[in-house]
Amino acid sequence: MILAEKDRKSEEDALEKMAKMRHAIETIDLNIYYGDHHVIKGVNLAIPEKVVFAIMGPSGCGKSTMLRAFNRLLELNESTRVEGDVKVFGKSIFKMNPIEVRRTVGMVFQHPNPFPHMSIYDNVALGLKLNKLVKDRKELDRIVEWALRKAALWEEVENKLHKPASALSGGQQQRLCIARVVAMKPKVILMDEPTSNLDPISTKKIEELIYELKKELTVVIVTHSPAQAARVSDYVAFLYLGKLVEVGSTVDMFENPKEKLTEEYLTGRMG
Amino acid sequence: MGKDGYIDTFKYFLLPFCLFVFGLFALMLAVYFSASIPIFKHEGLKIYTTNAWIASENPNKEFYGVLAAIYGSVYTSVLAVLIALPLSISFAVFVIDYAPRRLKEPLIVATDVMAGLPTIIYGIWGAFVLVPLLKKCVMDPLYAHFSFIPLFSFKPVTGYSYLSAGVLLGIMVTPFASAIIREAYRSLPFMYREAIYSLGATRYEATKILIKQIKPAIVAGLLLAFGRAIGETVAVSLVIGNTFNISPSLFAPGYTISSLIANQFGNAFIYKYMVSALFAAGLSLFFIGLAVNILGILILRRYGHGR
Amino acid sequence: MVDSLKVRLFKEKLFLIGIAVLTISTVLPLFHIMFSIAANGIPVLLKGGWDFITGTLAPPGGGLGGIGPAIVGTFILTVLASLMGLPVAVLTGIYAAEYPNSLIGRATKTLLMVMMEFPTILVGLFVMDIVVLPMGSYSAIAGALSLAIVMMPYVAVYTDEALRNIPPKYREGAFALGLTRFKVVFRVLIGLARKGIMTGILIGIAKVAGETAPLLFTAGGATRVYFAGLNRPVGAIPLLIYQLVQQPYTNYHEIAWGASLLLMLIFLAIFLPIRLSLKEVKL
Repeated sequence: MILAEKDRKSEEDALEKMAKMRHAIETIDLNIYYGDHHVIKGVNLAIPEKVVFAIMGPSGCGKSTMLRAFNRLLELNESTRVEGDVKVFGKSIFKMNPIEVRRTVGMVFQHPNPFPHMSIYDNVALGLKLNKLVKDRKELDRIVEWALRKAALWEEVENKLHKPASALSGGQQQRLCIARVVAMKPKVILMDEPTSNLDPISTKKIEELIYELKKELTVVIVTHSPAQAARVSDYVAFLYLGKLVEVGSTVDMFENPKEKLTEEYLTGRMG
Repeated sequence: MGKDGYIDTFKYFLLPFCLFVFGLFALMLAVYFSASIPIFKHEGLKIYTTNAWIASENPNKEFYGVLAAIYGSVYTSVLAVLIALPLSISFAVFVIDYAPRRLKEPLIVATDVMAGLPTIIYGIWGAFVLVPLLKKCVMDPLYAHFSFIPLFSFKPVTGYSYLSAGVLLGIMVTPFASAIIREAYRSLPFMYREAIYSLGATRYEATKILIKQIKPAIVAGLLLAFGRAIGETVAVSLVIGNTFNISPSLFAPGYTISSLIANQFGNAFIYKYMVSALFAAGLSLFFIGLAVNILGILILRRYGHGR
Repeated sequence: MVDSLKVRLFKEKLFLIGIAVLTISTVLPLFHIMFSIAANGIPVLLKGGWDFITGTLAPPGGGLGGIGPAIVGTFILTVLASLMGLPVAVLTGIYAAEYPNSLIGRATKTLLMVMMEFPTILVGLFVMDIVVLPMGSYSAIAGALSLAIVMMPYVAVYTDEALRNIPPKYREGAFALGLTRFKVVFRVLIGLARKGIMTGILIGIAKVAGETAPLLFTAGGATRVYFAGLNRPVGAIPLLIYQLVQQPYTNYHEIAWGASLLLMLIFLAIFLPIRLSLKEVKL
């Protein structure tokens, strides 16, 4: 459905368009080491604004690791080392405070991880409160509702806002995590295989959400499923063993992959 | 006979040993009870509700009340837990999240050594080093300036006091409480750490949120620490002052149940009821300790931090 | 906005300094204790020389003599306690591990954990009542029984956990060979779990070698006689320290410091190698 709506321009046009757009995220010679292990090898990537950008590749290719470099979450792990640069809207994230980076670049994880000891409301309000983004309780109420509506969860939780988040189903928890991020009004949302632990119906809901979100912000989604990349993304990058193999508009890459590796991956001969 | 018709000889070989342990425990309880009966017959429950220690050659004049010891046990153990609370949580958090990597292991080994160190070592250090130190640096100045506050109202003559015992016990049980809290904190799934930092939390804010998630383990750790503190004998009896006293002041000397037993048992057999009175005191210690420990163990087990 | 971030970062810094200080405060007493014991104990050992280890106690107010009887006593008590406590402890631990879902198995585990936390003075009281009173005298046997009861739950819990941590494939493999449960456990599993069980035994020994309270009314103490028989009173280093500290004589305090240094060294010699060869221990 999403594919059909896309205008089918030529490959050159798409790349040209990419180059002209303002870049939400840009990596320059990005190298990531995990102890002695070289995980990401010299990746140069430019992610345009207000698109859905998929990073796909077989498991273990370093997708999730790279994603965590974009909001400096890798630093939580002492044994990682990052070389090169990552820019968010032209500004190097290593020259910003990590807190500012993470406020601009939100994240949704593979396992739904709302805080089980907090209520649904408090989970959504958490980032707003921490970052002092609201003036009073009324504004907080308003934004929590707005975020839950954005995450298509409001109707389901309207009457149990103060119940613990652990009472929700897996799919609902994941949408709660999306609401939690959306509430902070970030400019970019990173999603690390957000549907890999969900059933098909929940997956569909989340994918529809992603499509809605890109009207206002940039979504970078990591997935090991080419089908999902095809369904949700405008642009796609194919990562293999830590190297960027190919990047381009989703339509082009799926119809006409330039690299043999990409073709093998897309046709299911690998991965 | 088992389900499939064979006899599990292995089980029946081991079972007696298990039952022996249960029997031993039951026998202990029975011994404390039966040995306490004379004093219960002599004065009823007054043994627990009064503060008196009248030893006499004439059994009719004998009268014992161990309230001061129960009070002292609870008072010093609460002090110990109050000291252990900030120390054990800080230690657990620091060692897991923030300590330089080369320091982590040595810090943990140090607390493990502390947890295992013979308690008499704490005792001699407490009596000869800690008590004079506390008297000079804490008690004397506080008494000089704040003696109008009931907590500081007792003139610290020797330094042997509730405070000394509480501080010593606090030092002794902190490593133990911290080990339990540390395990729970370490086993928090990494995804929660990622979640809170991805929302732009500072390390302070993140720690606050994460610590709330292991509240049951903290409660259990402190309960078990309380249990250890209340059962500790020799270290306490060397610093508490061994005086029948019920005072709110931190600087007053007192007794604890275990130090009372340790101190009075030697000459108890001269009197008709004193041994029984001490067993009754032991019985109360048994029940307080049992209740606190079982509660702590159950909380740990229920919240999956079971050891 | 920027200001609020500055405030938050300032709080973060305060927090990090705060918990670092509290962490140091947690372990500082250990170093203070070790320093005090060494500073007061080493001169005593140097002055007392070999006699301090082998000799008998000096009279009040004059000289050092030695703590030989206490050292002998601690050794005898620990060996006897191990002989009494270990078999029951290991077999009980096996039961808890082999029948973890049965009522008795679960109850046993809980009981063991409760006994680990049990006030040790009460153990002494109990043994005094059932052994010392009938025998009419403090004795090595009574002291050892007390220590055996204190040691038992540690060894049992370690045995239980060592067995539970064996990957199921070994158990299945052994049963698949057609071995009886006896042989599976005693020939195969015990061998695989021996490191964990040995650790438990050593921790138990380190624990009881330093115990004082269970010996107060059982072992009795001895300062002039090394060993007079299992039914006679016997000394122990911790007990001796406890008794000497309460005496008013300076030379006795000196002896107590020297004995504390020895006790601490014995404890560290048993404990540190175990601890350093493992990731964690339970105490």
